[in-house]
Amino acid sequence: MREKTEVLHKKRKWTPVSVIGLILIILFSIICVAPFVYMILMSFTQSQTAMIRLDQINFGDFSNYSYVFHNNGFFRSLINSIIVTGCSCFFNCLIASMAAYGFEKKNFPGKEKLYLVYLATMMIPGQVTMIPVFIIMRKLGLLNTYFALIVLILNAFGVVLIRQFMKGVPDDLLEAAQVDGCPEFQIYLRVVLPLIKPVLVSLVIFTFVTSWNDFMWPLVSTSKSSMYTLTVSLSLLKTQYATNYGLLMAGATVSFLIPFILYVFLQKQFVEGIALSGIKG
Amino acid sequence: MSRKKRQAVQGILYILPSFILLAAFSIIPIFMTVYYSFTDYNMMRAPQLVGLSNYQRVFHDSYMAAAFKNTLVYTAVTVPIQTVASLAIAAFFAAKLQKKGGEFLRSVMFIPVIASAITAATIWRIIFATDGGILNTFLGLFGASKVNWLGDSDVALISICIVAIWKNIGYFMVIYYAGIMAIPKDLYEAATIDGASTMQEFFRITLPLLKPITYLVVTLGIIWSFQVFDLSYQMTGGGPGKSTVTLVMGIYNSAFKQYKMGYASAIAILLLVLILVINLVENLFFKEKEAA
Repeated sequence: MREKTEVLHKKRKWTPVSVIGLILIILFSIICVAPFVYMILMSFTQSQTAMIRLDQINFGDFSNYSYVFHNNGFFRSLINSIIVTGCSCFFNCLIASMAAYGFEKKNFPGKEKLYLVYLATMMIPGQVTMIPVFIIMRKLGLLNTYFALIVLILNAFGVVLIRQFMKGVPDDLLEAAQVDGCPEFQIYLRVVLPLIKPVLVSLVIFTFVTSWNDFMWPLVSTSKSSMYTLTVSLSLLKTQYATNYGLLMAGATVSFLIPFILYVFLQKQFVEGIALSGIKG
Repeated sequence: MSRKKRQAVQGILYILPSFILLAAFSIIPIFMTVYYSFTDYNMMRAPQLVGLSNYQRVFHDSYMAAAFKNTLVYTAVTVPIQTVASLAIAAFFAAKLQKKGGEFLRSVMFIPVIASAITAATIWRIIFATDGGILNTFLGLFGASKVNWLGDSDVALISICIVAIWKNIGYFMVIYYAGIMAIPKDLYEAATIDGASTMQEFFRITLPLLKPITYLVVTLGIIWSFQVFDLSYQMTGGGPGKSTVTLVMGIYNSAFKQYKMGYASAIAILLLVLILVINLVENLFFKEKEAA
């Protein structure tokens, strides 16, 4: 036994190789965060060159922010992104959890075959169906609407994810509620939903990041500036002010701020929620 | 109504909303894409059936040839580097830095993951600026000459790869780290007592047991690579020339800039087939190695 602890102890020692490893890891961490620090610092300058000069930074000067908010529609885009992302999260959780409940706790002929269809749709990249969806939305006059922006975020992934989790909800509990005379929809609402809260949190975060960062569909489905989301506005800002670096970085900061604040407070849930998308592959 | 029947009706009602959405925006559209790919359709006149001519045109289109080549290069550069780097970092964290600063460093590395590709591209475009850009200024300290990161057609694609790798490593590192932490500790203890070196333990225990995760990381990496659009759109717009156009950019330009819906659908179907084939081949590859 002593030998074992000795050997294990030896392994924990810092060898020259592991010190180099540590230095590389710290360097990479700096590279991960430095661009965002640069972004924030630049957004407080009026710099017309890409190089940052410390004497140009003025944290009291929000003129870049007020400019993108008022002259480039970023305020409207921020509101749009919040509405679209909020609704996406809510409806994705509601619709996906209902379907997962139906698949896992109810029985009807052809159920598992239908589930296979759900699984198969997860293999189709969004860009492949985007053309007909665009044509359908255009015919129905639904381009430039929140509906179009929200509805594409809802997909089979949430159903598969929640069904996996719902296997852990005991059938006895649902039956007991039924015997007590609890109406069916109340069982779902009052018994099932509270029990699957952890997976709903993960799905909310996953949906939040997907929806907030989505670019191609908002770019395609919106042509009115009043319907742009933040990613679309930011891409336009680049086209209009290619070298006004302070302004561009103010726009980038606005688009990054809310996900970042949420990440700081909900780190663990974020990492879990986003890493979940692994299943999506 | 019998209990069984009632349950069936309830089940269908619960599933119905999701099914309607899936049918309307996923299942029916995929068949429509297939149909459009055999037509000439500009949304002004009804679609005209043209047989396979859209597909033939894809193979004679120099833009799509460039897009295909760029997407392959992008995949070949990003996937191996991000996979090996994220595994190495995760293994290091698991061996030396589980607690204390490790937790903090891991959460720092995840920050690029939560930023949108558009945000990342906006920042990096400025970092990559030829004159006065941070990267060239920094490299200049070591006497390197200026690189035109985004304006040189030989370098631009690599610059985009650098941003993609930077953005993806944190994500795959977290997946690998979770995988390594799930490996039973007594395997390592037994190996250590048997006198195995750290390297031997890594190649004999860690790597083989992480195979399902490596499969996931490589598959996801390839699928993401084939769908790359945002980074290229925001950093270079596909240029200079055709040096950074991608397959999805080909779909975007044909469909939503030129309104050649039929042609764009053909590209989309080819993209889908490509992704399915890669999935299949990779599946076989990983299964075979497992059997051996």
